[in-house]
Amino acid sequence: MMKQSDEAVIRILGLRKSFGPVEVLRGVDLEVDKGEVVTILGPSGSGKSTLLRCVNRLEEPTAGEVWFEDVQVNGHKTDMNHVRERIGMVFQSFNLFPHLTAKGNVMLAQRRVLGRSKEEAEVNAVEQLTKVGLADRIDYFPSQLSGGQQQRVAIARALAMDPHVMLFDEVTSALDPELVRGVLDVMKSLAAGGMTMLVVTHEMGFAREAADRVVFMDCGVIVEEGPPERVFDQPSHERTKDFLGHIS
Amino acid sequence: MEAFLQWWETNTLTRLFFSVEVIGRALPVIAKAFPVSLTFAVISFVAAIPAGLALAFMKMSKRRWVRLPAVLYVDLVRGTPLFLQILIVYFGLTLLPVYGDFVRANPWSKEPFFLGLDFTLWARGMFVLSFNSAAYLCEIFRAGIQSIHKGQLEAARSLGMTVPKAMIYVIIPQTIRRILPTLMSEYILLFKDTALLAAVGIAEMTLRAREIAASTLNQSGYVLAAAFYLVITIPLGRFVQRLEDRLAQSEGGGVQAAAGDGRPAESPQPAAADGAG
Repeated sequence: MMKQSDEAVIRILGLRKSFGPVEVLRGVDLEVDKGEVVTILGPSGSGKSTLLRCVNRLEEPTAGEVWFEDVQVNGHKTDMNHVRERIGMVFQSFNLFPHLTAKGNVMLAQRRVLGRSKEEAEVNAVEQLTKVGLADRIDYFPSQLSGGQQQRVAIARALAMDPHVMLFDEVTSALDPELVRGVLDVMKSLAAGGMTMLVVTHEMGFAREAADRVVFMDCGVIVEEGPPERVFDQPSHERTKDFLGHIS
Repeated sequence: MEAFLQWWETNTLTRLFFSVEVIGRALPVIAKAFPVSLTFAVISFVAAIPAGLALAFMKMSKRRWVRLPAVLYVDLVRGTPLFLQILIVYFGLTLLPVYGDFVRANPWSKEPFFLGLDFTLWARGMFVLSFNSAAYLCEIFRAGIQSIHKGQLEAARSLGMTVPKAMIYVIIPQTIRRILPTLMSEYILLFKDTALLAAVGIAEMTLRAREIAASTLNQSGYVLAAAFYLVITIPLGRFVQRLEDRLAQSEGGGVQAAAGDGRPAESPQPAAADGAG
């Protein structure tokens, strides 16, 4: 049994997920406390993105439990839409709505999901876009923005919903190297501001600098976890050493 | 000039197909029937849009018993000639008891209703055209919706949107933009297909042209009717072409196309240097 913390925002217990005959997650336990920044590392195919997507049930867990605050995410009667309002997610491929401007992207769910007025949503959208450094791009369409700018709009879009936790799914993997920094800077300031974050990434620098805890996954299980200094500098598991050796 | 006209009206080819005299006689008749053809096409098409959309969603349903009727409908309609459908449905409707009851209870429906045609004629003609077009629109909508990258739905869902909200605010607007040229091509087809209504005696352009051909033993009325169809189809066809070109341009350089393979390209737009954040 996992340690039970009153502060846990996310609790994952014995999570399993299969795609057909392939078992991608083979029993994962993980807790994320309020204000904690947890990075998940691991080779591709280790199940880290699937784990993240089970948290807001973009993937349906095959077995186990996923809890968000006091709600079981994979419960039969859970109102997922209500849960998702409180869980922000940012994707590798941005997934901005191409028919809306940056501001329109940030406003849409505020209005149609939270029922905020147009004025309220607009004020908040401008504020969020300013926060991610795009005050001068609010009326641009996604196709007129660079990848890094688009990803920051996507972060603003999620933040505008006042989420209790933010999920980041390899958000810099599709970016050209010179665009990565702007996105990481936004994430670091979010972390510093006390946002609870679950981050799947290949950015070791970010993990080392901003994470409270690093989780290393391989073959659908958590192999090792701990503070970044310990996992990076004294990995206790052979597979972690192997992986870190390949990356750096 | 006089001599030329005389030659024109005696030469077999020009006299049979392009007779000035016959065209002059046909012009007011065909012109009067032109709005009939146009009205059948426009209203049938507009009616087919919600039907086609509903069929598309049925066909994409996870439930077999929802999917099956739509699949059957589309297969039957697309797999048989429209001409045959018109013959079956147009006359078939009049054989239904409910049709007889309606006509008896509403004598006005057999009086001239619009453009000289009675209501039952309009209703039956439009029903069969919509019935046909909805099946084609279904496939257009379905392909359009499925062409939207699944990340769009995931993003909308992750923001707490229900599936209907995600459809209305995120997926459908993008779909419409993408399928607009195809929709308009479908409209052009439908407009031309109204000619088949001549077979059941609806006085649209082709029927009128046939009456003129029969009474003059001359084809020029048909040629004139063809010109009337072209007045709509050529400009619309050009417009579709331009829409397609524009769409290809914007999607080719845009993010949507690139995001499809999970490797979004940087936009070619003069986006300022990143890393300002």
